[in-house]
Amino acid sequence: MSTLHLVRQSAFASNDFAQCLSVLDHQDSVVLMDDGCYNLKHPLMDSLIKRVDGSVNINVVVSHAQARAIEIITAVKAIEIGDVVELTFTHKKVITWQ
Amino acid sequence: MISIEQQSSSSAQANGLAIINSKAPFSSTHGKDALDIALIFGSFEQKVSLFFQGDGVYQLIADQDGSLLAIKDYLKTFSAFEFYDIEDIYVCQQSLSNRQLDENFHIDEVKVLSSIEFSAALNRHQHVLRF
Amino acid sequence: MKTLAVVITTPPYSHLTITALTYVEAALVAGINVIGVFFYQDGVMHANEDISIASDEYQAIAHWQRLQQQYQLPLHICITAAEKRGIACDAIDNDKINNAFTVSGLGELVELTTKASRLVQF
Repeated sequence: MSTLHLVRQSAFASNDFAQCLSVLDHQDSVVLMDDGCYNLKHPLMDSLIKRVDGSVNINVVVSHAQARAIEIITAVKAIEIGDVVELTFTHKKVITWQ
Repeated sequence: MISIEQQSSSSAQANGLAIINSKAPFSSTHGKDALDIALIFGSFEQKVSLFFQGDGVYQLIADQDGSLLAIKDYLKTFSAFEFYDIEDIYVCQQSLSNRQLDENFHIDEVKVLSSIEFSAALNRHQHVLRF
Repeated sequence: MKTLAVVITTPPYSHLTITALTYVEAALVAGINVIGVFFYQDGVMHANEDISIASDEYQAIAHWQRLQQQYQLPLHICITAAEKRGIACDAIDNDKINNAFTVSGLGELVELTTKASRLVQF
């Protein structure tokens, strides 16, 4: 039962990302969007990448990151909103962290 | 004052709706807005489960009194959950301990779960809303 | 059949709504059956006929109207949330409510949730 997690808040401002990570399963996917893009530079992201070691699919909405002048790191896949629609149906359900 | 199109609910999802409560009870209306959804699902005999995580766990703690703040205390309505067949109420153990809270709740039947159990319980649902 | 229901809780003047609109339009373009959008909490402000957003800013309400017309996308507002925000209504044809929106109750959210294969909140 895989879940798509839409992360829309900066972890520097709220605990949403930390809460998302506490329920994250190894078949799940994460999409960073809106201010969630700032999490690319948050210590939680470093520990996530180490923890999951490629088993969790981590994505960022490329226009949302570029607009904020955030560099996209190689461990993260750059996607468009249309891809988020596709991911919605390749996972069993969606949780929005906002 | 709710306009409801009465239709057969026989096509109910077996797994129902999970609502994650993530906000403390009194400074915002998120808890009340989530409660209203839970009660409607209950009255339509649709399965709904409540999850409390982060500051949301404060909604369950005993001995609170919203009337001191002139707030209509929606937490009292939690005691009606059994009449709506809302039986699955889960709280994140880690969120409690982070806040130095004991397992002292104002309703019975609250299940305290580890992060892994909390995640597994969430996964038993078809849809998730978070407030 | 891929069926999608969407819950919107952010108001038309929030930039988070742009993401929601972009997502819903992408779903419609991809041929997904979007069975309805349910506006809850501050999301109901989209139906407020009196809201005027400066012409050089993002016109969230106009975009919802366009999607509603182009795709017959059902847009439901929660009556309780709307009344609380001064835009309801005991009559369906209320001149404070944008006519692209249908006044509904939380029962409609139950309907959408039971019928949709996916529910996404924004």
